[in-house]
Amino acid sequence: MKTYIYNFRYFIKESIDIFRLNLISNIFSLLSTGLIFFVLTLIIAGWNVSSSVTDAIKGESEISVYFKEGLTDAEIIELTNLVTNVFGVKSVNLVNEDEAYERMESVLGGDAQVLSFFEENPFDAFLEVGIELSEIDAIVSQINQMEKVDLVRDNKEVLNRLSHMSDVLNLVSYFAIAAVGITTLVILSHIIRQGIYHHREQINTLELLGAPKYFIALPFYIEGIGMTLTGGLLSLILSHFVLSEIYLQVSGPLPFIPLPDQGGVMQNLILMVIGLSLILGYLGSAFGVSSSRGKN
Amino acid sequence: MIEAHDLELIYSDGTVAVKPFNLKVGKGELVYITGASGSGKTSLLKLLIGSEYPTGGTLNILGEPINKGNSKSISKIRHKIGPIFQEFRLIKGKTSMDNVKLGMRFIGMKPSQIEEEAQSVLIKVGLEDKLNIKVDYLSWGECQRVAIARAVARKPALILADEPTGNLDRENAIKMLELLASFRTKDTAVIMTTHATHLIEGHAHATYIHMDRGRVNIERQGKSY
Repeated sequence: MKTYIYNFRYFIKESIDIFRLNLISNIFSLLSTGLIFFVLTLIIAGWNVSSSVTDAIKGESEISVYFKEGLTDAEIIELTNLVTNVFGVKSVNLVNEDEAYERMESVLGGDAQVLSFFEENPFDAFLEVGIELSEIDAIVSQINQMEKVDLVRDNKEVLNRLSHMSDVLNLVSYFAIAAVGITTLVILSHIIRQGIYHHREQINTLELLGAPKYFIALPFYIEGIGMTLTGGLLSLILSHFVLSEIYLQVSGPLPFIPLPDQGGVMQNLILMVIGLSLILGYLGSAFGVSSSRGKN
Repeated sequence: MIEAHDLELIYSDGTVAVKPFNLKVGKGELVYITGASGSGKTSLLKLLIGSEYPTGGTLNILGEPINKGNSKSISKIRHKIGPIFQEFRLIKGKTSMDNVKLGMRFIGMKPSQIEEEAQSVLIKVGLEDKLNIKVDYLSWGECQRVAIARAVARKPALILADEPTGNLDRENAIKMLELLASFRTKDTAVIMTTHATHLIEGHAHATYIHMDRGRVNIERQGKSY
């Protein structure tokens, strides 16, 4: 341990020397690593955002229950109670004709004048029913069987599509992590092998002087981990700017999309990228060092 | 310090580099290994530094056996050896000080001790004005002295020098042999190979190992340190 501490500056200096030996090639490798990590951060951010959007939408899943015309207030209350008692129903809210009209006005925004072409309010009152998404089929089936119900409108297709998109993104993210991992390992172990090859005489001399294996290998590990960490940091800086721009573009014109907190997304990215950089840096260096052993 | 019994080295291509011999070298001894080129001097030195393993007999250095099964201990044995290689093996791009310090970084010396010792040995070998010059810019003779300083600064129990008089004229060769012999102390033995037998003949208190096509002939003169 003392040898590590006493030689800390030496190890750092050696790592820089090893990096500088093939400066241009190593700078390009560093940039490649940064770009690979950048692609990864974008996919992970997309995964993160889509998962939380899907979760948020799933959490607010609603169906609209239209009842038959001519029901009295007492019958509507009775129906409301019946619906409330269905397993999986979280809330029931009566939306009358006027509120339905106002909601459509706010959805249409600038195009709301189209509603003025109607002589009368074209919207019916309905029950807005908050549900557990997993129970949607059973709920819709039960409500459809109720005598006073005219029509049940659900957004099951949209929700399923969102859910499917989220699954696909999950899969893509796993592939991306695997691809980034393998690519980084290949690039890094190649760089380390190159460094070892160029320093083979020095390594040989150190061995003859009795230097332990860790003493010889440590600068190469520092170089590898340093490169992936720098690449990771580079990708985080880039992704911060890109995410800020995306949030600015999306949250203004599309305020109804429940985007997760940008700070939280960045925090997740930082933890993930730094963790991956350290792991891949260590593994890449280890592969490079072990595959060079015996050749020099 | 060194004990060899029926020690033999045969390379994988069948070349017999060192034929079986017995040897005992104690603390503070001065040993010259002589012989013509290709006689097996460097092979014997390789055995002593553990870069070749005996193919026959046994070899113990500083109490540790040298064999394939004991390869882990060899780096520890090497901590106590100060090797001076024929081609010096200095690290290019580094200064004289850095080269000397490099050999001391992993043998348990403190940074202040390393700095002090490296500087003092470099001054002792006459390189006081070349401490911070990169070895790439030093002459052949200066590089050789850096290599000697690197070996000696480690405070080794055994200094092994391979052909230190190799490219030197008579006068400088004698100086070099004297310089190396001066590092012999009661705890430090010095073993060096040379083909310049005329320069070392009659040297008192030394052991001579004459090699001829792998055959070893040992002759002792005087006492050890």
